[in-house]
Amino acid sequence: MCQEHKPIGNPSHFEGTEQEKSTAHAVDGTFAQYTQGMKFFDPHVHMTSRTTDDYQALADAGVVALIEPAFWLGQPRTGLSSFKDYFASLVGWERFRSSQFGIKHYCTIGLNSREANHEALAEQVMEILPLFLQKEGVVGVGEIGFDDQTAAEEKYYRAQLELAKEMNLPVQVHTPHRDKKKGTERSMAIALEHGIAPNMVIIDHNNEETVKSVLDQGFYAAFTIYPFTKMGNERMVEIVKQYGPERIMVNSAADWGISDPLAIPKTAALMKIKEVPDEHIRLVTYQNALDAFAQSGQIQESDFINGLEIDQTQKFNGNTILRGGQAPRINKDSLIIR
Amino acid sequence: MKTNINIIETIAALASEAESNWLVEQKTLTGKALALSFVKVPRFISKINIESGEFSGWTLDQLVRVDIVTQLDEANVTALFETAEMQEAVALTRSLPYLPNPSSFLLRATDAVRSNMGPVFDAIAFGNTYPKDYFNEAAWNQLVLKCIFNDKAIHQIIGLDERANQALADTLSDFAHERWSAGRRVPSQVWRLVPRFINESLRSDIEKLALSKNPRDVVAASLVKQEVQNPGSTHGLWQELEEPEPIYIV
Repeated sequence: MCQEHKPIGNPSHFEGTEQEKSTAHAVDGTFAQYTQGMKFFDPHVHMTSRTTDDYQALADAGVVALIEPAFWLGQPRTGLSSFKDYFASLVGWERFRSSQFGIKHYCTIGLNSREANHEALAEQVMEILPLFLQKEGVVGVGEIGFDDQTAAEEKYYRAQLELAKEMNLPVQVHTPHRDKKKGTERSMAIALEHGIAPNMVIIDHNNEETVKSVLDQGFYAAFTIYPFTKMGNERMVEIVKQYGPERIMVNSAADWGISDPLAIPKTAALMKIKEVPDEHIRLVTYQNALDAFAQSGQIQESDFINGLEIDQTQKFNGNTILRGGQAPRINKDSLIIR
Repeated sequence: MKTNINIIETIAALASEAESNWLVEQKTLTGKALALSFVKVPRFISKINIESGEFSGWTLDQLVRVDIVTQLDEANVTALFETAEMQEAVALTRSLPYLPNPSSFLLRATDAVRSNMGPVFDAIAFGNTYPKDYFNEAAWNQLVLKCIFNDKAIHQIIGLDERANQALADTLSDFAHERWSAGRRVPSQVWRLVPRFINESLRSDIEKLALSKNPRDVVAASLVKQEVQNPGSTHGLWQELEEPEPIYIV
């Protein structure tokens, strides 16, 4: 649900100097030299659709924690069990898979806007949401909001805002591709109408046109760095320079489409090259996301900042492969596979 | 069904007043509401590590979850299994011997053996009496073999020696041959499973083991021979081979 694949180029928003531009192109492939020692928190990435190579690359690039929002899998679901198993996999198998690479995996759970239009099924999904929203490591209701901006989408957006309020959970709001500006304003107005504090709402997939209003009204503004259809990271740097780091966060929203799970480290490197202060980089690529979603009470930075703590069961057994961050690595360049 | 009296006593000894009060309140609930209490446990109960005794290696929140599950009806236990995150799955799996009708959850137990999530597998395999009491031979052998395949230490399985059998010993021999062909090894302590079922094929495995460059294999071979000659004489001696071993070094 996160993108429409129309390979059009980014609009020309690149405002940096010629020198910055040529440096940025010269470091292709070696950007990590600019992010040494940095740690990243990706608050929106669909790891279910990614491979172990991606997990390894994320860990190598300094991503220590991530949030996987529940979303549309590309193939519409036809029954409640598919939703149930998907939600269970977000808190179960995917969380475990991530831990094998030393990355702390959180998720948000919700009925996405596209599938909200299938009302008979949506009703059933609403029934099982509370059970999942109360689980450990579920840090919000998400990603919910508008796609086509239909009446059904509005109905389930409102119903899920009520759930979030009742459970005191942050809300991760997907904003539509089409008619984005109006859809974003409408999403915020409805959240306020339901009495949700703007600091509990993360408005996602912003761009130059939506950011000012989102920040002015006190919401968190998330930016998805996603090739072709959302933000490019050059544009992102200019936004941080213009608006400063407060309540702004960057994510990759990497999924089954042509996307880049390393969007955050790459954007951090570009910010570094373009002389954004280190502290501002830290805020928009790590701390703000952590602060926003830690309002769920389900995130302890100490759980991941120094590597994942070894689970008691694993310690008890002594010899499992599961020690945090110590999963066996394969040398990708080696011809020999053992 | 195993009595949960020790669980209740251990909780009473470790829980704070606020934790105990919360639990008492939850246990007045039934059905779906009580199932939701199970989910909410970590919000109200700490994860104090239990250092010794019957529940050594468990955490307080797991004990509380097991206590709650034993009060639930079968439909709600099933609903929890179907929606469990990993910590919940561990607690549910540990609760199996304490449920009012353990044998009706056999499929959940064998599903835990099939799990690729280490902690879930470990919750059924280690320190759990359920497999010993309810698994048939095929399911039992699958459990032990998966442990060996994943290089987990088998001495933590309750009933290991008691439920050793010919089919398991034979399969172990085949498995060792595969590993040896691949230039790998099997942990030396697994040979404790074979003395009662020794045959020609196993005898030649033991001879091969006795010639290994790895001293632990040599010890294992001599323990097997000793046990064959004098059954019961190696009781306790396998302990020295219970340390985890690197498997890729022959």
